[in-house]
Amino acid sequence: MQARCAAARRRFLLGGAALTALAVSGCALQTPRLLASPPHGLPRRVELAATPFFPQQEFQCGPAALATALSAVALPTGPDALVGKVFLPGREGSLQIEMLSGARRSGAVATVIPGALEAVMRETAAGNPVVVLQNLGLSWAPSWHYAVVIGYDLDAGHFLLRSGPIERQELPFATFEHTWDRAARWAFVALPPGRLPVSADEVEVTRALVAFERNAPPGQAAQAYAAGLARWPASLTLAMGLGNAHYAARDLEAARRAFAGAAQDHDAAAAYNNLASVLLELGRRAEARAAAVRAVDRAGADGPIADSARATLRRIDEAAPDSRERPRSRSTAPSAPARR
Amino acid sequence: MEKFKRLLSILLIVSFSSVTMVHDAQAAMVSTEQVAQAAAAQQDGDHHARLDAMLARAEVQAELQRYGVTAEQARERIAALTDEEAAALVKQVDEAPAGGIIGAILLVFFVLLLTDILGLTKVFPFTRSIR
Repeated sequence: MQARCAAARRRFLLGGAALTALAVSGCALQTPRLLASPPHGLPRRVELAATPFFPQQEFQCGPAALATALSAVALPTGPDALVGKVFLPGREGSLQIEMLSGARRSGAVATVIPGALEAVMRETAAGNPVVVLQNLGLSWAPSWHYAVVIGYDLDAGHFLLRSGPIERQELPFATFEHTWDRAARWAFVALPPGRLPVSADEVEVTRALVAFERNAPPGQAAQAYAAGLARWPASLTLAMGLGNAHYAARDLEAARRAFAGAAQDHDAAAAYNNLASVLLELGRRAEARAAAVRAVDRAGADGPIADSARATLRRIDEAAPDSRERPRSRSTAPSAPARR
Repeated sequence: MEKFKRLLSILLIVSFSSVTMVHDAQAAMVSTEQVAQAAAAQQDGDHHARLDAMLARAEVQAELQRYGVTAEQARERIAALTDEEAAALVKQVDEAPAGGIIGAILLVFFVLLLTDILGLTKVFPFTRSIR
Protein backbone atom coordinates (compact mmCIF):
# COMPACT_ATOMS: atom_id res chain seq x y z
CA MET A 1 0.00 0.00 0.00
CA GLN A 2 2.82 2.38 0.74
CA ALA A 3 5.16 0.37 -1.40
CA ARG A 4 8.16 2.15 -2.85
CA CYS A 5 7.32 5.00 -0.59
CA ALA A 6 10.84 5.61 0.46
CA ALA A 7 14.05 4.42 -0.98
CA ALA A 8 16.63 3.93 1.69
CA ARG A 9 20.19 3.48 0.75
CA ARG A 10 22.37 1.00 2.58
CA ARG A 11 25.14 3.00 4.06
CA PHE A 12 27.34 0.13 5.06
CA LEU A 13 29.95 -1.60 3.02
CA LEU A 14 29.58 -5.27 2.39
CA GLY A 15 31.64 -6.42 5.35
CA GLY A 16 29.91 -4.00 7.66
CA ALA A 17 26.56 -5.11 6.33
CA ALA A 18 27.31 -8.74 7.07
CA LEU A 19 28.43 -7.84 10.56
CA THR A 20 25.39 -5.67 11.20
CA ALA A 21 22.97 -8.17 9.72
CA LEU A 22 24.24 -10.94 11.97
CA ALA A 23 24.32 -8.63 14.95
CA VAL A 24 20.75 -7.52 14.35
CA SER A 25 19.29 -10.94 13.63
CA GLY A 26 21.13 -12.35 16.60
CA CYS A 27 19.47 -9.93 18.96
CA ALA A 28 16.05 -10.77 20.27
CA LEU A 29 13.16 -8.35 20.15
CA GLN A 30 13.03 -5.92 23.04
CA THR A 31 9.24 -5.92 23.23
CA PRO A 32 8.69 -8.81 25.69
CA ARG A 33 11.31 -7.50 28.09
CA LEU A 34 9.93 -4.00 27.77
CA LEU A 35 6.40 -5.10 28.62
CA ALA A 36 7.57 -7.28 31.50
CA SER A 37 9.54 -4.52 33.18
CA PRO A 38 8.93 -1.05 31.75
CA PRO A 39 11.90 1.30 32.02
CA HIS A 40 12.11 3.44 35.09
CA GLY A 41 10.62 6.89 35.10
CA LEU A 42 8.57 6.51 31.92
CA PRO A 43 4.95 7.63 31.94
CA ARG A 44 2.49 4.79 31.21
CA ARG A 45 0.97 6.72 28.37
CA VAL A 46 2.17 9.53 26.11
CA GLU A 47 0.44 11.14 23.17
CA LEU A 48 1.71 14.32 21.51
CA ALA A 49 -1.82 15.03 20.31
CA ALA A 50 -1.00 18.53 19.10
CA THR A 51 1.35 17.14 16.44
CA PRO A 52 -0.03 18.29 13.08
CA PHE A 53 -0.97 15.80 10.40
CA PHE A 54 0.04 16.03 6.77
CA PRO A 55 -1.57 13.24 4.76
CA GLN A 56 0.99 11.83 2.40
CA GLN A 57 0.74 12.44 -1.35
CA GLU A 58 1.74 9.71 -3.78
CA PHE A 59 4.98 8.20 -2.54
CA GLN A 60 6.00 11.24 -0.57
CA CYS A 61 6.03 9.89 2.97
CA GLY A 62 9.49 11.39 3.54
CA PRO A 63 8.44 15.04 3.13
CA ALA A 64 5.18 14.37 5.00
CA ALA A 65 6.96 12.80 7.98
CA LEU A 66 9.56 15.54 8.09
CA ALA A 67 6.94 18.29 7.90
CA THR A 68 5.04 16.62 10.74
CA ALA A 69 8.11 16.46 12.98
CA LEU A 70 9.25 20.01 12.20
CA SER A 71 5.83 21.62 12.69
CA ALA A 72 5.44 19.82 16.00
CA VAL A 73 8.46 21.63 17.44
CA ALA A 74 7.52 25.10 16.23
CA LEU A 75 9.47 25.03 12.99
CA PRO A 76 6.42 25.39 10.78
CA THR A 77 6.74 24.07 7.25
CA GLY A 78 4.67 22.01 4.85
CA PRO A 79 5.45 18.90 2.83
CA ASP A 80 5.35 20.89 -0.41
CA ALA A 81 8.26 23.06 0.72
CA LEU A 82 10.25 19.93 1.59
CA VAL A 83 9.64 17.92 -1.57
CA GLY A 84 12.45 19.67 -3.42
CA LYS A 85 14.79 19.14 -0.47
CA VAL A 86 14.29 15.48 0.33
CA PHE A 87 12.32 13.78 -2.45
CA LEU A 88 13.92 11.91 -5.34
CA PRO A 89 11.29 11.50 -8.05
CA GLY A 90 13.39 8.89 -9.84
CA ARG A 91 13.46 6.64 -6.80
CA GLU A 92 10.00 7.60 -5.59
CA GLY A 93 11.43 8.12 -2.15
CA SER A 94 13.77 9.98 0.14
CA LEU A 95 17.22 8.95 1.28
CA GLN A 96 17.98 8.80 4.98
CA ILE A 97 20.88 11.18 4.64
CA GLU A 98 18.66 13.70 2.88
CA MET A 99 16.00 13.48 5.56
CA LEU A 100 18.66 14.67 8.00
CA SER A 101 19.99 17.41 5.74
CA GLY A 102 16.46 18.48 4.80
CA ALA A 103 15.66 18.95 8.47
CA ARG A 104 18.85 20.99 8.90
CA ARG A 105 18.04 23.16 5.91
CA SER A 106 14.71 23.90 7.57
CA GLY A 107 16.51 25.20 10.66
CA ALA A 108 16.38 22.09 12.86
CA VAL A 109 19.17 20.11 14.49
CA ALA A 110 18.59 16.53 13.30
CA THR A 111 20.04 13.87 15.59
CA VAL A 112 20.01 10.11 15.08
CA ILE A 113 18.91 8.37 18.29
CA PRO A 114 19.82 4.88 19.54
CA GLY A 115 17.93 1.96 18.00
CA ALA A 116 16.08 1.04 21.18
CA LEU A 117 12.34 1.13 21.85
CA GLU A 118 13.10 2.84 25.13
CA ALA A 119 14.88 5.68 23.32
CA VAL A 120 11.83 6.27 21.12
CA MET A 121 9.61 6.32 24.21
CA ARG A 122 11.86 8.67 26.14
CA GLU A 123 11.89 11.14 23.25
CA THR A 124 8.13 11.23 22.93
CA ALA A 125 7.81 11.53 26.72
CA ALA A 126 10.10 14.57 26.48
CA GLY A 127 7.82 16.07 23.85
CA ASN A 128 9.94 15.19 20.83
CA PRO A 129 8.23 13.36 17.96
CA VAL A 130 10.49 10.70 16.45
CA VAL A 131 10.86 10.17 12.70
CA VAL A 132 11.37 6.46 12.06
CA LEU A 133 12.26 4.46 8.98
CA GLN A 134 10.23 1.26 8.65
CA ASN A 135 10.36 -1.63 6.27
CA LEU A 136 6.71 -2.60 6.03
CA GLY A 137 7.53 -5.52 3.74
CA LEU A 138 10.04 -8.30 4.14
CA SER A 139 13.79 -8.06 4.16
CA TRP A 140 13.99 -9.52 0.64
CA ALA A 141 10.99 -7.59 -0.64
CA PRO A 142 11.37 -4.26 1.14
CA SER A 143 8.67 -1.64 1.34
CA TRP A 144 10.30 1.40 2.87
CA HIS A 145 8.30 3.95 4.77
CA TYR A 146 8.88 7.00 6.97
CA ALA A 147 6.49 7.71 9.82
CA VAL A 148 6.44 9.80 12.98
CA VAL A 149 6.04 8.25 16.42
CA ILE A 150 4.01 10.62 18.60
CA GLY A 151 3.51 8.45 21.66
CA TYR A 152 2.82 5.03 23.15
CA ASP A 153 0.59 3.23 25.60
CA LEU A 154 2.31 0.70 27.85
CA ASP A 155 -0.99 -0.74 29.07
CA ALA A 156 -2.52 -1.18 25.63
CA GLY A 157 0.89 -2.21 24.24
CA HIS A 158 1.09 0.01 21.20
CA PHE A 159 2.89 2.96 19.67
CA LEU A 160 0.99 5.92 18.25
CA LEU A 161 2.09 7.18 14.85
CA ARG A 162 1.29 9.72 12.20
CA SER A 163 1.87 7.45 9.26
CA GLY A 164 1.31 8.12 5.56
CA PRO A 165 -2.44 8.63 5.07
CA ILE A 166 -3.31 7.49 8.63
CA GLU A 167 -3.70 10.31 11.10
CA ARG A 168 -3.58 8.20 14.28
CA GLN A 169 -2.16 4.73 13.85
CA GLU A 170 -2.05 2.35 16.81
CA LEU A 171 0.76 -0.08 16.07
CA PRO A 172 1.42 -2.93 18.54
CA PHE A 173 4.92 -2.81 20.03
CA ALA A 174 5.96 -6.10 18.43
CA THR A 175 4.70 -5.12 14.96
CA PHE A 176 6.43 -1.78 15.18
CA GLU A 177 9.64 -3.39 16.30
CA HIS A 178 9.58 -5.93 13.46
CA THR A 179 9.10 -3.25 10.81
CA TRP A 180 11.69 -1.01 12.46
CA ASP A 181 14.18 -3.82 12.91
CA ARG A 182 14.07 -4.54 9.18
CA ALA A 183 15.12 -0.92 8.60
CA ALA A 184 18.16 -1.26 10.89
CA ARG A 185 16.34 0.58 13.71
CA TRP A 186 16.95 3.99 12.21
CA ALA A 187 15.29 6.97 13.87
CA PHE A 188 15.96 10.64 14.44
CA VAL A 189 14.51 13.68 16.12
CA ALA A 190 14.53 17.20 14.66
CA LEU A 191 14.64 19.96 17.25
CA PRO A 192 15.15 23.72 17.23
CA PRO A 193 18.71 24.81 18.13
CA GLY A 194 19.21 24.91 21.88
CA ARG A 195 17.13 21.79 22.53
CA LEU A 196 18.79 18.37 22.65
CA PRO A 197 17.29 14.89 22.33
CA VAL A 198 17.17 13.15 25.70
CA SER A 199 18.33 9.74 24.49
CA ALA A 200 21.11 10.53 21.99
CA ASP A 201 24.74 9.99 22.94
CA GLU A 202 27.63 12.43 22.71
CA VAL A 203 28.88 11.09 19.37
CA GLU A 204 25.55 11.50 17.59
CA VAL A 205 24.79 14.90 19.13
CA THR A 206 28.25 16.16 18.17
CA ARG A 207 27.81 14.86 14.63
CA ALA A 208 24.41 16.58 14.41
CA LEU A 209 25.70 19.90 15.76
CA VAL A 210 28.77 20.01 13.50
CA ALA A 211 26.51 19.31 10.52
CA PHE A 212 24.07 21.99 11.70
CA GLU A 213 26.86 24.60 11.90
CA ARG A 214 27.56 24.19 8.19
CA ASN A 215 24.40 25.92 6.97
CA ALA A 216 22.90 27.52 10.04
CA PRO A 217 22.94 31.23 10.89
CA PRO A 218 25.98 31.60 13.22
CA GLY A 219 23.88 32.84 16.13
CA GLN A 220 21.73 29.71 16.06
CA ALA A 221 24.77 27.47 15.74
CA ALA A 222 26.24 29.08 18.86
CA GLN A 223 22.98 28.51 20.73
CA ALA A 224 22.98 24.84 19.67
CA TYR A 225 26.62 24.30 20.66
CA ALA A 226 26.06 25.99 24.02
CA ALA A 227 23.32 23.46 24.81
CA GLY A 228 25.57 20.56 23.79
CA LEU A 229 28.48 21.88 25.80
CA ALA A 230 26.26 22.25 28.85
CA ARG A 231 25.56 18.51 28.74
CA TRP A 232 29.07 17.37 27.76
CA PRO A 233 31.42 20.04 29.16
CA ALA A 234 34.49 17.87 28.48
CA SER A 235 34.05 17.90 24.68
CA LEU A 236 36.75 19.72 22.75
CA THR A 237 34.74 19.57 19.52
CA LEU A 238 31.69 21.24 21.09
CA ALA A 239 33.83 23.93 22.75
CA MET A 240 35.54 24.67 19.44
CA GLY A 241 32.18 24.72 17.70
CA LEU A 242 30.88 27.29 20.17
CA GLY A 243 33.93 29.49 19.59
CA ASN A 244 33.77 29.16 15.81
CA ALA A 245 30.05 29.95 15.77
CA HIS A 246 30.56 33.07 17.89
CA TYR A 247 33.45 34.04 15.63
CA ALA A 248 31.31 33.61 12.52
CA ALA A 249 28.68 35.80 14.17
CA ARG A 250 31.49 38.37 14.73
CA ASP A 251 31.04 38.21 18.50
CA LEU A 252 34.80 38.26 19.06
CA GLU A 253 34.67 38.57 22.83
CA ALA A 254 32.40 35.52 23.21
CA ALA A 255 34.59 33.62 20.74
CA ARG A 256 37.69 34.51 22.76
CA ARG A 257 36.08 33.24 25.97
CA ALA A 258 35.10 29.94 24.33
CA PHE A 259 38.54 29.35 22.80
CA ALA A 260 40.35 30.36 25.99
CA GLY A 261 38.22 27.88 27.93
CA ALA A 262 38.90 25.12 25.40
CA ALA A 263 42.62 25.90 25.43
CA GLN A 264 42.75 25.77 29.20
CA ASP A 265 40.73 22.54 29.50
CA HIS A 266 42.27 20.58 26.64
CA ASP A 267 45.67 22.16 25.92
CA ALA A 268 44.80 21.57 22.27
CA ALA A 269 46.56 23.13 19.27
CA ALA A 270 43.29 23.95 17.51
CA ALA A 271 42.00 25.91 20.49
CA TYR A 272 45.26 27.90 20.89
CA ASN A 273 45.36 28.58 17.16
CA ASN A 274 41.86 30.02 17.03
CA LEU A 275 42.38 31.88 20.29
CA ALA A 276 45.48 33.49 18.76
CA SER A 277 43.56 34.61 15.67
CA VAL A 278 40.78 36.14 17.73
CA LEU A 279 43.20 37.90 20.10
CA LEU A 280 44.99 39.40 17.12
CA GLU A 281 41.75 40.74 15.74
CA LEU A 282 40.98 42.16 19.17
CA GLY A 283 44.32 43.97 19.00
CA ARG A 284 45.90 42.00 21.85
CA ARG A 285 49.03 41.09 19.91
CA ALA A 286 51.32 39.94 22.71
CA GLU A 287 48.77 37.49 24.08
CA ALA A 288 47.96 36.40 20.52
CA ARG A 289 51.62 35.60 19.89
CA ALA A 290 51.91 33.59 23.12
CA ALA A 291 48.85 31.55 22.14
CA ALA A 292 50.14 31.02 18.59
CA VAL A 293 53.52 29.82 19.87
CA ARG A 294 51.70 27.37 22.12
CA ALA A 295 49.58 26.23 19.15
CA VAL A 296 52.67 25.53 17.03
CA ASP A 297 54.23 23.72 19.95
CA ARG A 298 51.16 21.55 20.59
CA ALA A 299 50.46 20.88 16.90
CA GLY A 300 53.70 18.95 16.40
CA ALA A 301 55.75 18.93 13.22
CA ASP A 302 53.12 17.54 10.84
CA GLY A 303 49.90 17.17 12.77
CA PRO A 304 46.61 18.09 11.09
CA ILE A 305 46.67 21.56 12.66
CA ALA A 306 50.41 22.26 12.11
CA ASP A 307 50.03 24.29 8.91
CA SER A 308 47.29 26.47 10.34
CA ALA A 309 49.25 27.08 13.55
CA ARG A 310 52.42 28.12 11.68
CA ALA A 311 50.38 30.38 9.39
CA THR A 312 48.75 32.05 12.38
CA LEU A 313 52.10 32.71 14.05
CA ARG A 314 53.53 34.08 10.81
CA ARG A 315 50.57 36.38 10.38
CA ILE A 316 50.88 37.69 13.93
CA ASP A 317 54.57 38.42 13.40
CA GLU A 318 53.82 40.17 10.13
CA ALA A 319 51.17 42.28 11.81
CA ALA A 320 53.74 43.58 14.32
CA PRO A 321 54.91 47.14 13.69
CA ASP A 322 58.53 46.14 14.41
CA SER A 323 58.39 42.83 12.58
CA ARG A 324 61.40 43.62 10.38
CA GLU A 325 63.82 43.97 13.24
CA ARG A 326 62.47 40.99 15.14
CA PRO A 327 64.58 37.86 14.65
CA ARG A 328 62.35 35.11 13.29
CA SER A 329 63.62 32.33 15.52
CA ARG A 330 61.23 29.93 17.19
CA SER A 331 63.64 29.16 19.99
CA THR A 332 61.50 31.25 22.31
CA ALA A 333 60.22 29.04 25.05
CA PRO A 334 56.45 28.74 24.84
CA SER A 335 55.19 31.43 27.13
CA ALA A 336 52.25 30.95 29.43
CA PRO A 337 49.03 30.62 27.50
CA ALA A 338 46.70 33.55 27.52
CA ARG A 339 44.14 33.31 30.28
CA ARG A 340 40.67 34.62 30.45
CA MET B 1 36.53 64.45 -11.78
CA GLU B 2 40.08 64.17 -10.51
CA LYS B 3 38.79 64.38 -6.97
CA PHE B 4 36.23 61.72 -7.67
CA LYS B 5 38.91 59.39 -9.07
CA ARG B 6 41.08 59.86 -6.01
CA LEU B 7 38.16 59.22 -3.71
CA LEU B 8 37.25 56.12 -5.70
CA SER B 9 40.78 54.74 -5.61
CA ILE B 10 41.05 55.31 -1.88
CA LEU B 11 37.71 53.62 -1.38
CA LEU B 12 38.82 50.68 -3.49
CA ILE B 13 42.11 50.32 -1.63
CA VAL B 14 40.38 50.41 1.73
CA SER B 15 37.69 47.92 0.73
CA PHE B 16 40.14 45.51 -0.89
CA SER B 17 42.56 45.56 1.99
CA SER B 18 39.79 44.91 4.50
CA VAL B 19 38.48 42.07 2.37
CA THR B 20 41.90 40.42 2.34
CA MET B 21 42.26 40.88 6.07
CA VAL B 22 38.97 39.15 6.78
CA HIS B 23 39.85 36.41 4.35
CA ASP B 24 43.25 35.85 5.96
CA ALA B 25 41.73 35.71 9.40
CA GLN B 26 39.30 33.03 8.34
CA ALA B 27 41.92 31.00 6.55
CA ALA B 28 43.91 30.64 9.75
CA MET B 29 40.97 29.47 11.84
CA VAL B 30 40.65 25.75 12.44
CA SER B 31 37.10 24.66 11.62
CA THR B 32 34.94 22.58 13.94
CA GLU B 33 34.78 19.86 11.32
CA GLN B 34 38.58 19.51 11.38
CA VAL B 35 38.49 19.15 15.16
CA ALA B 36 35.65 16.63 14.99
CA GLN B 37 37.49 14.58 12.38
CA ALA B 38 40.64 14.55 14.46
CA ALA B 39 38.65 13.47 17.52
CA ALA B 40 36.89 10.72 15.56
CA ALA B 41 40.16 9.46 14.09
CA GLN B 42 41.65 9.27 17.55
CA GLN B 43 38.64 7.34 18.81
CA ASP B 44 38.87 4.90 15.93
CA GLY B 45 42.46 4.18 16.80
CA ASP B 46 41.30 3.50 20.31
CA HIS B 47 38.70 1.01 19.12
CA HIS B 48 41.28 -1.27 17.58
CA ALA B 49 43.50 -0.89 20.63
CA ARG B 50 40.62 -1.74 22.94
CA LEU B 51 39.76 -4.90 21.01
CA ASP B 52 43.39 -5.97 21.13
CA ALA B 53 43.44 -5.38 24.87
CA MET B 54 40.35 -7.56 25.26
CA LEU B 55 42.00 -10.33 23.27
CA ALA B 56 44.93 -10.32 25.62
CA ARG B 57 42.73 -11.34 28.55
CA ALA B 58 43.18 -14.89 29.75
CA GLU B 59 39.53 -15.95 29.77
CA VAL B 60 39.04 -14.65 26.24
CA GLN B 61 42.07 -16.58 25.03
CA ALA B 62 40.86 -19.73 26.75
CA GLU B 63 37.47 -19.41 25.07
CA LEU B 64 39.06 -18.81 21.67
CA GLN B 65 41.24 -21.83 22.13
CA ARG B 66 38.16 -23.91 22.81
CA TYR B 67 37.02 -22.98 19.32
CA GLY B 68 40.45 -23.71 17.88
CA VAL B 69 41.42 -20.09 17.23
CA THR B 70 44.83 -18.81 18.21
CA ALA B 71 45.25 -15.34 19.63
CA GLU B 72 47.41 -14.52 16.63
CA GLN B 73 44.62 -15.39 14.20
CA ALA B 74 42.11 -13.38 16.20
CA ARG B 75 44.44 -10.39 16.18
CA GLU B 76 44.77 -10.59 12.41
CA ARG B 77 40.98 -10.62 12.14
CA ILE B 78 40.67 -7.49 14.21
CA ALA B 79 43.37 -5.75 12.22
CA ALA B 80 41.34 -6.54 9.10
CA LEU B 81 38.28 -4.68 10.38
CA THR B 82 37.62 -1.16 9.14
CA ASP B 83 37.47 1.63 11.68
CA GLU B 84 33.70 1.68 11.45
CA GLU B 85 33.37 -2.06 12.00
CA ALA B 86 35.74 -1.97 14.94
CA ALA B 87 33.71 0.86 16.42
CA ALA B 88 30.49 -1.13 15.91
CA LEU B 89 32.04 -4.11 17.63
CA VAL B 90 33.28 -2.09 20.59
CA LYS B 91 29.82 -0.58 20.93
CA GLN B 92 28.27 -4.03 20.91
CA VAL B 93 30.67 -5.24 23.56
CA ASP B 94 29.93 -2.19 25.66
CA GLU B 95 26.21 -2.82 25.45
CA ALA B 96 26.42 -6.56 25.98
CA PRO B 97 26.12 -7.98 29.47
CA ALA B 98 29.14 -9.51 31.16
CA GLY B 99 30.71 -12.14 28.98
CA GLY B 100 29.69 -10.26 25.85
CA ILE B 101 33.29 -9.75 24.87
CA ILE B 102 33.86 -13.35 23.95
CA GLY B 103 30.61 -13.55 22.03
CA ALA B 104 31.45 -10.43 20.07
CA ILE B 105 34.96 -11.56 19.22
CA LEU B 106 33.70 -14.95 18.11
CA LEU B 107 31.13 -13.16 16.00
CA VAL B 108 33.87 -11.38 14.11
CA PHE B 109 35.68 -14.62 13.66
CA PHE B 110 32.71 -16.42 12.20
CA VAL B 111 31.57 -13.53 10.02
CA LEU B 112 34.98 -13.28 8.42
CA LEU B 113 35.09 -17.04 8.05
CA LEU B 114 31.78 -16.86 6.22
CA THR B 115 32.80 -13.96 4.02
CA ASP B 116 36.06 -15.78 3.24
CA ILE B 117 34.14 -18.81 2.06
CA LEU B 118 31.90 -16.60 -0.05
CA GLY B 119 35.04 -15.16 -1.63
CA LEU B 120 34.42 -11.63 -0.40
CA THR B 121 37.45 -11.54 1.85
CA LYS B 122 40.59 -13.57 2.24
CA VAL B 123 41.62 -13.50 5.86
CA PHE B 124 42.04 -17.19 6.60
CA PRO B 125 44.70 -19.16 4.80
CA PHE B 126 42.75 -22.41 5.08
CA THR B 127 39.43 -21.37 3.49
CA ARG B 128 38.69 -22.12 -0.12
CA SER B 129 36.30 -19.76 -1.79
CA ILE B 130 33.21 -21.34 -3.31
CA ARG B 131 33.45 -19.00 -6.28
